[in-house]
Amino acid sequence: MNVDQPPSPAGFPAADRRQFLRLAAAGGASVLLSVAAGTALPAPARAAAATAPGPRTRVYVLVVDGCRPDEITSALTPRLAALRGAGTNFPAARSLPVMETIPNHVMMMTGVRPDRSGVPANSVYDRAEAVVRDLDRPTDLRFPTLLDRLRDEGFSTGSVLSKRYLFGIFGERATYRWEPSPLLPVTGHAPDKFTMDALIAMVDGVDPDFVFTNLGDVDRVGHSDVSGTTLQAARTAALADTDDQVGRFVDHLVAAGTWQSSVLIVLADHSMDWSIPSNVISVDQILSGRADLREQIAIAQNGGADLLSWTGPLRARDAGLADVRGLVAAHPGVLSVSDPGDLRLGPEAGDLVAFCRAGWRFSDPYIASNPIPGNHGHPATEPIPFFVAGGSPRVSTGVSSQPARTIDVAPTVGALFGLAAPAGGYDGTARADAFTV
Amino acid sequence: MRHPQTGGMSPFNRRDLLRSAGVIAFAGAAATTAGTLPAHAAAATTTAGFRHGVASGDPLPSSVLLWTRITPTPDAAPGSGVGPDVTVSWEVAEDSGFLRMAARGSVRTGPARDHTVKVIPGGLKPGAAYWYRFSASGVTSATGRTRTAPAAGAAVDRLRMGVVSCSNWQAGYFSAYRYLADRGDLDVVLHLGDYLYEYAPGEYQARDVVVRPHDPAVEMTTLSHYRRRHAQYKTDLDLQALHAAVPFVVTWDDHEFANDAWSGGAENHTEGAEGTWATRRDASKQAYAEWMPVRFEPGGHIYRRFEFGTLASISMLDLRTYRSRQASSVVDPAIGSPARTLTGDAQMDWLLGGFSSPATQWKLIGNPVMISPVRFPSTLSAQEVGAVEQLLGTTTIDGVPYNVDQWDGYTADRSRVISHLRDNAITDAVFLTGDIHSGWACDVPADPLTYPSNGASVAAELVCTSVTSDNLDDILGTPPRTSSVAVEEAFKGANPHVKYLDFDSHGFSVLEVTPGALRMDWYVLSERTNRAATSTLSTSWRVAAGTQAVSRVL
Repeated sequence: MNVDQPPSPAGFPAADRRQFLRLAAAGGASVLLSVAAGTALPAPARAAAATAPGPRTRVYVLVVDGCRPDEITSALTPRLAALRGAGTNFPAARSLPVMETIPNHVMMMTGVRPDRSGVPANSVYDRAEAVVRDLDRPTDLRFPTLLDRLRDEGFSTGSVLSKRYLFGIFGERATYRWEPSPLLPVTGHAPDKFTMDALIAMVDGVDPDFVFTNLGDVDRVGHSDVSGTTLQAARTAALADTDDQVGRFVDHLVAAGTWQSSVLIVLADHSMDWSIPSNVISVDQILSGRADLREQIAIAQNGGADLLSWTGPLRARDAGLADVRGLVAAHPGVLSVSDPGDLRLGPEAGDLVAFCRAGWRFSDPYIASNPIPGNHGHPATEPIPFFVAGGSPRVSTGVSSQPARTIDVAPTVGALFGLAAPAGGYDGTARADAFTV
Repeated sequence: MRHPQTGGMSPFNRRDLLRSAGVIAFAGAAATTAGTLPAHAAAATTTAGFRHGVASGDPLPSSVLLWTRITPTPDAAPGSGVGPDVTVSWEVAEDSGFLRMAARGSVRTGPARDHTVKVIPGGLKPGAAYWYRFSASGVTSATGRTRTAPAAGAAVDRLRMGVVSCSNWQAGYFSAYRYLADRGDLDVVLHLGDYLYEYAPGEYQARDVVVRPHDPAVEMTTLSHYRRRHAQYKTDLDLQALHAAVPFVVTWDDHEFANDAWSGGAENHTEGAEGTWATRRDASKQAYAEWMPVRFEPGGHIYRRFEFGTLASISMLDLRTYRSRQASSVVDPAIGSPARTLTGDAQMDWLLGGFSSPATQWKLIGNPVMISPVRFPSTLSAQEVGAVEQLLGTTTIDGVPYNVDQWDGYTADRSRVISHLRDNAITDAVFLTGDIHSGWACDVPADPLTYPSNGASVAAELVCTSVTSDNLDDILGTPPRTSSVAVEEAFKGANPHVKYLDFDSHGFSVLEVTPGALRMDWYVLSERTNRAATSTLSTSWRVAAGTQAVSRVL
C-alpha cells in the first residue's frame, strides 16, 4: 500500500482535496482508490473500533445488476445459489419504480423513496437546464446515504461501483471509493473481474466496515444479448462469470479469516425483460400526428418506462397532458400511464410515467433510439434476488415471505451497525428475519 | 325413477356410531365427548338433535364462522318447511373441556332458514385453535374444532390444507374426507366445488352402480330439493368428521346448481319444465347459504379472499354466476370474444387487484375450472376421445374436441389474467383447481406457442381429483391405470406444460405451503365404492418460490 498523488482520471470531476491510495491487486496489478479528506493514511487497522459494541461486523452489499431471481440456480450460478441456500432468502423481493439502476441503488443506500431523494430514474428531463440527462451528479442526490452516515458515526465505508454513472452520483460519499476502470466503450462500465479486483484490494488494504459494490456485467450483457428472448447465450455466460467473481470474493474472505465476521447482502437493482424488434413503443411516433402536443413534451426514455414532461405554456398543460395520456395509454404495448406522485417519484420524474407491458420497450425520442433487446424500468422487471448470507453468527438460515424491497437495504444495514434512522425516518423496513436476535 | 328412501337422514347403524365416537375423540374432545354422544344417538330417536353435525369455515384472524342444523321436532325435516322457531346456544372455548371460554351466545333459527344456524364469534385470537359446540332444548351437539387465521402481516412458517372437489354421493363413499379428518395436521380444507350433485338416482353414479341413492330421488330443482340434498350429504359421517375437525373454505362449481351452469341457465336445466333458471339458481344459492359454513348470504357474492399472515392468500372464485353461455364449439368465434366473460368484470378486477397486493407471498386461487390450455391429442381412438369428452365435459364439433366449459372456452378472460400476471411479473401465483375428476400438475404458459422453446410460465396449476365422481377408467370401463395411461401420455405430449396427469384415481390432495416452496401430495383411494377404502400417496409435486413452475418431488 502506498499513498499517491495521481493524475486525475480522465472523464471524472477533478479532485481538489482528494487523497489517493494505490493498493496491490490480483496478478501484480494495482488498484487506485480515492479517499475522503481527513482520513488517516495509511488506514488504521480498525477504523471504527471505538464506536461499535461487541465483536466487529463487516457488511458487504453486492448488487448483481439486472439479475433475475430465477437465474440463480445451482447449475448456472452455484456460488450464489449456495450463499442463498445458507442464508436467508426473500423470494417475494422486488425492485421499486422506476425499475432502473440509479434510482434503485440510491434507494438501497438512502432507504427512502425518490420523492425524498430526488432520484426517480436514470434519465430525466431537467427543467432548469431544459435538457434530458442522466442523474449522475453528486448534487442530484439530496438525501444522506449509508456511505456518509456510517462515516459520520466513525465507521469506514467503501464504494466499488462498476458503472460510471453510479460512481458519478455517489461521488465522494464513501470513505474509500473506487473509480471504475477500465471502462468499456458503449456500456460505460468496468468488467466484473476488475470490479472484484478492486473490492478485494479495498478489503485487503483498508478493510472498511461497509462496502457497496455493483457488478455490472450481467446487466450490460443482458441489454445487448440479441438472443435474449430465446437462448440468452451471452447472458448465461455472463451469469456464470459473475458467479465466479462472487465465489472469488467469498473464498478471499475465508482465506483472510474475516468470513466469520462478514454479512453479505446480495440483490439486484431490477431484473431484465427482452423484447423483439417489432415490440417497440415510441411516444414520439404516437404523437406524430399531434405536433401541437409533441412540441410541448420532453421525453426521458428509461427502457421500460418513459417519463413525459410538459414544457409548453401552463394554461394548456392540463388539457395537453390529458390528451397525451389518452394517446399513449391506447398503445397496445403500454401497460399504464401514471402520475409520478402515485409512484412516489417526485417532481424530477416529470408529469406522466408510462410503463410498457412485458416483452415491449420504449424507444424515444426516436424509434431507433433504443435498439437493445434487453430492458427494464417496467413492472415486468420488478422481481429481484435478495438474500442475506455470510459467515457472521448474526446471519440466520431460512426463507422469508416478507416483501423485501431495494429500499430495505439501508435500514437493514443500518440496524447491523446500530445506526439511527435518518431525519424523517426510513421508507424501507429493516429485514430482521435475516438475523438471529 | 323413484327410490324408496325418501327420508332426509339414513338411520345410523352401530358401526357408524362407533366411528362417530372415534371422530369426536380426534377432534380433541375425548375427555368430554360423553355428553355429546347422545346428540348423535338422538338421530335415531324422536327427540331434538343436531343430526347433521357441526362445521366451521372462512377463518379470519379474529373470527371464524360456525355452523350446525337443529332438528327441534321429528317432523322438522330438512326441506319440509315444518317445525318451530328455536333458540340455539353456542360456545367457543380455548380448550376441549370448555373451561377457558372465549365466546358464547345464542341465535334464533326456524323453518325460514331450514333450521340451520350460522354464527360468527368475533374477538378471537389469531392463529389459535378453538373448540365449539351448540345446545338447544337440553341437547348438546358434537364438539367441533377450528382454527383462526394468523394475524395480518405475521410471519407464518407453514400452512397445510386439504384440497378436494367433486364428491358425488351416489358414486361412492367419502373416504377421502375420513383420511383428511384423521390427519390432525390441517389448518383448513379447501373445497373447490361440486360438493354435491343435482342428479336423480340412476342419472349419475359410479359407472352403472348407484352406491348410495340420492335423496330426494329426483333431480333437485326446487328449494326443498336443494335443502334435502344438502341435508343428506351432511349425514355422511366422514364428511361430518372432517367438518368437525377443520374449518372449510369453499366455493361452488356447477353441480351445486346444475351441470354446466352459466349466468342464464345450465346444460342440465330445462327452462319452463324445471321452472325458471333465476328461480332455480336462487333456490340453490339459498340452500347453499343455509347449509354451508361459508360467509355468503343470498344477494351477496361468494368470491372472497383470505390471508394467512404474509405467507399466502387464497382467492376463491365464482365461475358460474357471471359467466356467459358456453360456446357451442371450437370453431365458434365467440370463444375469443372480449364481450364474453367467465368471471364478470367486477370479479375480474378484484382478482387482478389481489395479485398485486404486496401483503402476501403466495397468491393461491381457488379456481373451480382449469385455466391451463388443454389441446386434445390427435392420436386418440374414437372411443378414447368420446370418454375424455365425457370426463371433461367437452363439446365435439367436426371431430375437434374442446373444453368450452373451462377457461379454454373464455380466452379473452384468460388473456386478461395471464397478461396481468406477466406484465406485472406477479410471482408465486398458484391455481388450485377441481371440476374434472383427475389429477394434474401444470405450468401456466405465458404463451402456449413459445412455451416449448422457452418454458416461460406465469403461474402453476394443481388440480385435485374427485372424491368419488367418475373419471376416465370409469367411463372407458377398464381397470384403473390400464387404458388411461396411453391417453395421459398423449395429452402430455400434446401439452408440454402438463407435467403430471392421472385420469383414473379418486381421492384428495394435501397442499403444504412454506416460504421456500409449495408442495401438493395426491392421495388415491383403493376403491371409492368400498366404505373401508385404503389411501395411498400417489405422487408429490412442488413449486419452488419464484419459479412459477412445477417439478416432481415423488
